[in-house]
Amino acid sequence: MGILSGGLSVRRYRVEGQLPEAREALITALNGNAFREPLSPVHKEEVMGWTQVHNLLDTSFDDINLWLYNHYAIFALRIDKKTLPAKLFKAHLQKRQQAWCKESGRERVPAKVKEELKELLEMEMLRQTLPKVAVHELVWNLQEGWLAVHSQSDAVNDKLRKHFHRSFSMVLQPVTPLEWTADLPEVADRLLSMGTTELGDGQ
Amino acid sequence: MNEEKDELLPGHIASDFYLWLWYRSETGGGHLDLGEGEEVDFWVDDRISFRTPGEQKVSAVMTGEHPGGSPEARAALAGGKVLRDVRLALKREDREYMVTLKGPLIEVSGAKLPGLVKTGDTAEILFERMFLYEELGLMLRGLFRRFAQLRTSDQWERGVMPQLTAWAHGQAEAEPPQDA
Repeated sequence: MGILSGGLSVRRYRVEGQLPEAREALITALNGNAFREPLSPVHKEEVMGWTQVHNLLDTSFDDINLWLYNHYAIFALRIDKKTLPAKLFKAHLQKRQQAWCKESGRERVPAKVKEELKELLEMEMLRQTLPKVAVHELVWNLQEGWLAVHSQSDAVNDKLRKHFHRSFSMVLQPVTPLEWTADLPEVADRLLSMGTTELGDGQ
Repeated sequence: MNEEKDELLPGHIASDFYLWLWYRSETGGGHLDLGEGEEVDFWVDDRISFRTPGEQKVSAVMTGEHPGGSPEARAALAGGKVLRDVRLALKREDREYMVTLKGPLIEVSGAKLPGLVKTGDTAEILFERMFLYEELGLMLRGLFRRFAQLRTSDQWERGVMPQLTAWAHGQAEAEPPQDA
């Protein structure tokens, strides 16, 4: 389900800023901000970057024929995050704390040791955990200056706007239906001043 | 983002637009000449959801065949609820689209495009889908413009509101409105 198949659920943006004339600049921007696997297997922060739409493991944009079709650029934002199962983590931690108490002959685990046990367990479990992977396809009409992303999540869209700006130094502005009346400024102004139409019994 | 959305377009404008689409499709046959030879047929498909004014979460949902004709849907209106989302079918020439118009920014959600190219060349699929997506946008733009012009005219208060209110309360038979 996405830009190339299935139902389409998109948020649309106007792309503001200077589009580089040379396609090489786009390639550089995409490659420079493409998805990169974190170096450490215990990395728990979110990682994001651009990927090809055809396969999320393809992160090179050198071949323009794979992502630019006339004036349409299609690529995707991949967002990975490792999350530990909270209940399982808590249960393991409890076992570790019990074992520590038994070994050291003490009734309670001091705060500092608790923290160390927690960090150690977190690293062990992160090493064994695969990240949650989300891929959000987008299409960018370079000629008309609009972009549609296949996600309506506010959180995802906020990340997209930041990463897009970081990559291309251009800004994504949400398109509103008021732009459909841009040639009728008096209509748009009046529309904004209108109140809610309510048809309840109180009317 | 929610606050930003409301700044971009206050939520009640979208709700009024959805209401007008529903009302038009029920009483006016759902056919509009958008000018310059552009015509569109539209009708509420299989879902309408409501919210309480001032809130964003769904407070009632009507689904199934022709939910727009159900007494429950109109009772929700008469009870003071406003529309949040509407699943709409649109037809232009022989191409039929289904789309949920969602939230204050009138976003396109779950759009079924009448594409013919399903597999094969990426470029061919992309160009067809973009043509259809743009055509869907063209129809929605035309409908919104018509609504906006009517909503900001005197005709809204004088002609449309009395009809809408009567319709919501089940007090009037469906009559094709003059200019609603």
